[in-house]
Amino acid sequence: MRRPVHAILGTVLLASVVLIQGGCTKRETRDILYIAMGAEPPELNSTKATDTESGMVLGHVMEGLTRINAAGMQVPGVAESWKLTDQGAVFTLRPDARWSDGRPVTANDFVFAWRTAVDPKTASEYAFILFPIKNAEAIVQGRLPPTQLGVAARDDRTLAVTFEKPCGYFLALTSFQTYFPIREDFYTAQQGRYGSDKENLLYNGPFKLTQWIHGAALRFEKNEQYWDQARVKLKRIEVPYITADDSARFNLFKDRKIDLLGLSKNSLDDAVREGFRLKKFAEGSVWFLEYNFISGRLTRNKNLRKAIQLSFDAEEFANKVVGIPGTVPGISLIPGWMQGKSAPFRSEYPVTAVGRDIEKARAYMAAFMKEEGLGKAPSLVWLTGESPLAAREAEYFQNLLKTVLGIELKIDKQIFKQRLAKMMAGEFDIVSAGWGPDYADPMTFADLFASWNENNRGKWKNASYDALIRKAQATTKAAVRMDSMAAAERILLDEQPILPTYERSVIYTHSDRVSGIIRRSVGADPDLSEASARE
Amino acid sequence: MNELKPSDFERAPSRQALHRISRPSLSYWQDAWLRLRRNRQAIFSLGIVMALVFFTLAGPWLWRQDPSTQLLEEASLGPTLGRKAVVVEELDSWSPEFADARATAWDRVQDLRVIGEPTTEGITLQWGPVEGAEGYAIYRTDRKPRGLNRLGLPLAEVKKPGQLSFRDRMNVEPRSYTYTVLPIFKGLEAEVYGRVKVAPRIALKLAAAQRLKAGARVGDTIVLPAHPFGTDSLGRDLLSRIIAGARISLSIGLLAPLLYMLLGVLIGGFAGYSGGRIDLAIVRGIDLVVALPFLLFMILFRIAFGVGPGESGVHAMVVAMVALSWPSSARLVRGQVMQLREAEYVQAARLLGARTGYLLLRHLIPNTMGVILVYLTFAIPSTIFTEAFLSFIGMGVVPPTPSWGSLCNDGIQSFLSHPHEFIFPAIFISVTVLAFNLLGDGLRDALDPKQRGSS
Repeated sequence: MRRPVHAILGTVLLASVVLIQGGCTKRETRDILYIAMGAEPPELNSTKATDTESGMVLGHVMEGLTRINAAGMQVPGVAESWKLTDQGAVFTLRPDARWSDGRPVTANDFVFAWRTAVDPKTASEYAFILFPIKNAEAIVQGRLPPTQLGVAARDDRTLAVTFEKPCGYFLALTSFQTYFPIREDFYTAQQGRYGSDKENLLYNGPFKLTQWIHGAALRFEKNEQYWDQARVKLKRIEVPYITADDSARFNLFKDRKIDLLGLSKNSLDDAVREGFRLKKFAEGSVWFLEYNFISGRLTRNKNLRKAIQLSFDAEEFANKVVGIPGTVPGISLIPGWMQGKSAPFRSEYPVTAVGRDIEKARAYMAAFMKEEGLGKAPSLVWLTGESPLAAREAEYFQNLLKTVLGIELKIDKQIFKQRLAKMMAGEFDIVSAGWGPDYADPMTFADLFASWNENNRGKWKNASYDALIRKAQATTKAAVRMDSMAAAERILLDEQPILPTYERSVIYTHSDRVSGIIRRSVGADPDLSEASARE
Repeated sequence: MNELKPSDFERAPSRQALHRISRPSLSYWQDAWLRLRRNRQAIFSLGIVMALVFFTLAGPWLWRQDPSTQLLEEASLGPTLGRKAVVVEELDSWSPEFADARATAWDRVQDLRVIGEPTTEGITLQWGPVEGAEGYAIYRTDRKPRGLNRLGLPLAEVKKPGQLSFRDRMNVEPRSYTYTVLPIFKGLEAEVYGRVKVAPRIALKLAAAQRLKAGARVGDTIVLPAHPFGTDSLGRDLLSRIIAGARISLSIGLLAPLLYMLLGVLIGGFAGYSGGRIDLAIVRGIDLVVALPFLLFMILFRIAFGVGPGESGVHAMVVAMVALSWPSSARLVRGQVMQLREAEYVQAARLLGARTGYLLLRHLIPNTMGVILVYLTFAIPSTIFTEAFLSFIGMGVVPPTPSWGSLCNDGIQSFLSHPHEFIFPAIFISVTVLAFNLLGDGLRDALDPKQRGSS
């Protein structure tokens, strides 16, 4: 009886092998790029999106007044020309910019999108990025109606913006997603479902979404209505896999199922063994621990925060726990790559790194316990993501704070969307978070901890910090702006509402058949809109 | 014809002695033990189970390493038996070397060399200046590079004018590395590279060394703790983590089945013995519980118990298992009891006036014991598996407490580069589950009364 069973088994196996190989050879490759994403984009409504996954998708399917080119320069997008003054800006839109349904992109589409973003009903976390526009802040606070926003469509092709105060970096903002246009009739027709699925979005960028299997796959196809057809060489971008699992993505790349791979610490050795040509770039984001300042939280106590700061060795953390070459130990909020007046901001305003000093840390801890009247070290809730690095970081700090300060950390691991929700709701003592730049100016980091910023999740409030940020936002003079931001940075580093941990570096590799992939610190990354793929 | 004697008319002796059973009388359990002993697989499994219990209870005394102590210098190490490390100073105050303006520049990277002693705490490279280079890119590989291929890790770009040195501290391991330094012209890496091979020594910073051995001084050689199963990605000893994890995994694996079997036996026994409407109602109740989804209730119990974020959900897990897993054992016992209740000897005992308690204790429970025991040995591995699964998806134990499931979860992240982190805990789960299953198999055969006296 044994033989037939084996024979049948053999045939089944053989058949499946043939099927798998058949599947492989059938796969189209010419002008198609395959990638995997770490998570599904949680929000494709451009007025509300905050995260990098959504930003990457939006950057491919939408276009603002300007865009950032391969060299990192601001170049014309929907606007073909503009005029900037201290009082405002006038943009002239190109006549051939179209929505994916063929109708032209008009100045009204920008007016509508921007008004929606500042509308208190939208409750956009990114509303603050429109604050350079007149009345934006008052509208967000509900003191004025959205129609009072300082933006007007003089005609279909002329958009006039009035500034609240002179703004030195407005042009850099116009390529950001919150500034993308939305067409009013389409938006209202979706009845609150705008951006929730591929049919609920209208596209004006180089690509459009033609498939979105939630949690499983995405497909971008070239948008035939896009004005700059010459720029787009790819026919499709396929995202057949959405997985946060690094080793799964590594295997997908090795099996030539995807063309672009970011490498985690665990897969670096294997990548070297496989002989991949590795590339490195400063991803731009700064990572930090953010403390909760909501009343009743122990993390409001500065001595506790100082104690944690002095227990931490940023260089050991960057080299041994993060373990990605190029990782910069976190010493400040404004990253090392950011330009200041004429040289990198950090070289113009140097920051001294605070090293580990266990005795001092314990002294601060003792002072904290005395002030709070605690008999024994408290336990704190540590909110974090689900990536292997997030887990490693959490357990590193758990052990560090336990051995040095006696603090018990309760690790609350959450999926991305849930973590954002919990951060918003303030359900944490310490959250491990990161911030990627929205535009190429130190302000994109500096105003993050202004008390009015929705993304200041810990609700830290410091009057002099706020005043310095306001001062920097009210002038176009680079020297004044940079000086105030540097002064604000010093306050932040002294008060420690955050503990910077590292500046991320990404090691990646791509398959030989593709070229023209743009990696950047500012803007949608990776940018595949100018990539090309051979057979 | 023979003469009859009076003795012939005496009463013949009783032949009872001939009927004496030659084998010693064996109780049911003795008999079962005899049969189990003949089953080699089962005895072997019993040995493994006993060894595991010993491992769990005595492990922490025999293997005195703390499961949560991290030593980042020893992260992701394969199995080792005490490596030797030299104690070095804290090297934080390193500043790069800059070119002397008068130095002659070459057309390629020349004179690439290692400064000082290369150790796992840092390797310092220095090289001669290249004419017109705006910076240098440094690559490191533990393989053999071929020309510009297989350069390995892009460690850094040195862009400060005149900087001609670099210190590598990025996860340096005691293996042979090849560094390639390429000059950069106009943003592009040029082919005129220099290359050097380095084999660093294992080193430990003074502070870390003093934690291991009080009074350690710079220059001393100290022996690092042995790690027979290697370490995990934060340099924690895997053997001690597996021992600690065994405590969680085995205690849940034994406690939960014992509790829910007890509940099942009580409910099933009651239903089977009562019969009639009570039985019907209980059986419908059992059907209801069977239909409840385990994972959902697990989450509900977590909320009901107020298990906050980052707190251990082990008690909620045990309660959910007990509350939802008893029906199958209840069904089993009910069937047995119903069958036994109608057996002639039970009927006879009842006619002779035996009370319910006597019937239960003397006849019903002892006769279902075998079935219960077998069921229990199968329930234990499945519970261990459930615990492993729940900890794997993050619903069970929380860090730093390890369980076999969470160890597997951590290990699988780096399975390709450091397979030992996954394989060792996985072996323990597999062997335990297999041993309990084989033991259960053996017990089932041994306790089956139909096989009595056979084999």
